[in-house]
Amino acid sequence: MDRTRIAVLLAVLAAGLALPFAAGPFWMGLVTQMYIFGLLALSTDLLLGHAGLFSLCHASFFAVAAYTTAILQVRYGVPTALAAPAGLFAGTLLAAVFGLAVRTRGVYFILVTLALGYVVWGVAHRWSSFTGGDNGVTDVPFPAVGPLAIGSHTGYYYLVLAVIVACALGYRVLVRSPFGLSLRGIKASESRMKSLGYRTGLHLYAAFVLSGALASLAGVLYVYYNRFVNPVAGSFPVSVEAVLMAIIGGTGTVVGPFLGAGVILGLRNWVSSFFELYAAVMGIVFVATVLWAPDGIMGLAARVRAARPRAVRA
Amino acid sequence: MSEAAIQIGALSKEFGGLRAVDGVTLSVGAGERRALIGPNGAGKTTLFHCITGTLRPSSGTVRLFGREVTRLAEHRRTALGMSRTFQISNVFAALTALENLTLALLGTDRRKWIVYRPIGAFAALRRRALDGLERVGLGHRAHDAVRELSYGERRQLELALALNSNPRVLLLDEPCAGLSPAERQRISQMIATLPREITLVMIEHDMDVALRLADRVTVLHRGRVILEGTPGEVQASPEVREVYFGHV
Amino acid sequence: MTSAILQAINGVSLAALLFLLASGFTLSFGLMRVVNMAHGAYYLLGGYVGLSVARATGSFALALLCGGLAVVVLGYLVDRFLIRRTGENHLAQVLLTVGVAFVIGDVALKIWGGDFLKVPVPVSLRGAMELPGGLVYPTYRFVLILFGAAVGALLWVVYRKTQIGAVVRAGVDDREQVSATGINVDRLFVMVSALASFLAGMAGVAGGAFLLLYPGAEWEILVYALVVVIVGGLGSLGGAMIGALVVGLLDAYGRWLLPEFSYFVLFAPMALLLLIRPRGISGKDV
Repeated sequence: MDRTRIAVLLAVLAAGLALPFAAGPFWMGLVTQMYIFGLLALSTDLLLGHAGLFSLCHASFFAVAAYTTAILQVRYGVPTALAAPAGLFAGTLLAAVFGLAVRTRGVYFILVTLALGYVVWGVAHRWSSFTGGDNGVTDVPFPAVGPLAIGSHTGYYYLVLAVIVACALGYRVLVRSPFGLSLRGIKASESRMKSLGYRTGLHLYAAFVLSGALASLAGVLYVYYNRFVNPVAGSFPVSVEAVLMAIIGGTGTVVGPFLGAGVILGLRNWVSSFFELYAAVMGIVFVATVLWAPDGIMGLAARVRAARPRAVRA
Repeated sequence: MSEAAIQIGALSKEFGGLRAVDGVTLSVGAGERRALIGPNGAGKTTLFHCITGTLRPSSGTVRLFGREVTRLAEHRRTALGMSRTFQISNVFAALTALENLTLALLGTDRRKWIVYRPIGAFAALRRRALDGLERVGLGHRAHDAVRELSYGERRQLELALALNSNPRVLLLDEPCAGLSPAERQRISQMIATLPREITLVMIEHDMDVALRLADRVTVLHRGRVILEGTPGEVQASPEVREVYFGHV
Repeated sequence: MTSAILQAINGVSLAALLFLLASGFTLSFGLMRVVNMAHGAYYLLGGYVGLSVARATGSFALALLCGGLAVVVLGYLVDRFLIRRTGENHLAQVLLTVGVAFVIGDVALKIWGGDFLKVPVPVSLRGAMELPGGLVYPTYRFVLILFGAAVGALLWVVYRKTQIGAVVRAGVDDREQVSATGINVDRLFVMVSALASFLAGMAGVAGGAFLLLYPGAEWEILVYALVVVIVGGLGSLGGAMIGALVVGLLDAYGRWLLPEFSYFVLFAPMALLLLIRPRGISGKDV
């Protein structure tokens, strides 16, 4: 990474650390959401930006992880040290099952994941004896592991920030690894990859499960932030917005999905304060992005950088 | 007697009512250079697809060094040493030339599954990828996106990919297609200097190239083998001339 | 035993409705390679428009017609000014049409509100009728089966036996071939698209008389239609018929036997199909 990039990222990190003191609880809450949904968007982008698969069911893993953790903590008094990993595990397990979808490609994959996404939402809705139906699960406490207990929203903000930074760093290594390159190879030409000796179906399956794990982690972070979860967390709009966030921010990047999350969440917050048809506004944002900004913010930035005269490399 | 590198037994491939490949039996010895020629529509590429596993034959068998691979998945055959080029360049256009070679090298390497180390950290791999590019004359294009490469450069890359996936048997589908005379010269020179550890089967329309590089030639017409022999025998054969040029 | 038969009829009546919706979707894809996720929103909008017309005029037939036509007009605008700009980029089409659906859904919410609304069933079809064997079943839903079957038969005949159907079938198989024969491909696309829109809007009115119309219904019905299309194969009219029956019956029996897991019952066969035959029953190559 070149110096300017590192400097920018450090500045952003510093801003992130200073946020709770510089801005009020409202902004802190919004940025926490940006981290969480940015992670969800990132999980979809592992598939979209790298493997070329457009998944519309990632809210399912998000929701299953959230519900599992919530139900364990609230109803069975299971401590965070077990409830959080259990949530992560449950969501990832579901991804291992839904990963069947990688037996399809292209349009079929999109449609299949859309349909699969509805299974979780439907169960969350109808199995009210277990999931609480539309009311969901409430009164989720702050996470506490032994002597380390989060006592405030500020404390949780820093926890989430730490987790996100760790994830981002790990994700960065992942996409630059041989496995990450193999995904991009599959996206570029699956037939050639097979002919070079790659078991492409297995690579895609592994990517799907990994991305499900990331989405599940986002779900666990979400439920401790929101302190409650209901079927909406697993709904189609959440899945499709996650992908849109990745696209608006710029697919194939690490930072893009988080930028996109910021844009979408910020926009929704702002619009809903004065206009009740904000879902329609979101719809227009979808249309506008597709027609006029398919490369997203990072794409625009790349184009600006390319237009500038390049510095001579030593 | 050493076993044949490739042994094809009564292979047929049907599409609907059309028999693209009709009862082809042939055997290529280890280290041999075999040319597969025939007019358009003779079934050469279809035969290749059946050998590599892109298509399943309707009947018949394919053996690789004695081992039956007829129903084996494509990537498994590659792991056993089978490698091919495509008639229409099938390269990774969105990636750089270096990344293309890296993928070729990793295809038969267990390290393709590593998730915890960036690819830049594998110095020896990078060296081999650069060497692979240099050997086909693309060293100076290592960091360029392949979609920016010319047609001729893509054909070179196409060959490089197949050469770098650890092949024991290399199937070349019209490696010189669409190239200028100078490029043709370069590619056929490259092919001529390949080590004899690699068995070569080549589909080629350019008779000069085919007959010059080959030890033996198999002639296909309408999905059937009509003649097999040395380049000299094939060149002299009246049947072959008829197939290519009509009645003499 | 009677319950089982009643559920079967329920399933078939839902199948009739789903077929109306899915057939348009699958033909749009087969011919024009367009994935239109706004199809559910078209259903809902058509239903709401039909509802208003029925309330104003008391005519169910007029409601059906207006519901269908409203969607034809909207569908044409969406096609011409939006979808056409995405070429064959399915990802872009999905996102774009989802956005359109969000807009339609929200505007509909503003106009018709969030309550569960019912399209009034025509007087002649109210109540129940007696079926052979002594079973009693709501007349409307039974007639819906006949209606769906009639539309299906008509589509089938046009698709399989007429020249225009032959052109559409050829187009589904190979679009370049069709344009090479000099037929006005653009006009063909517009016609098929209009038909798909009309069926969707009409389905909304028909469905609104027993399934109710409410915010969110557009996605629920779309998902059902998508499972139909996945099971039956994209681009196949016959597949849409079979798929609709499978989905309809599974839904009816699922709701009856395992109400809390009915979605699961619905999607399990889809998962099974994925394991065995990823292309659906008679789908064309994507």
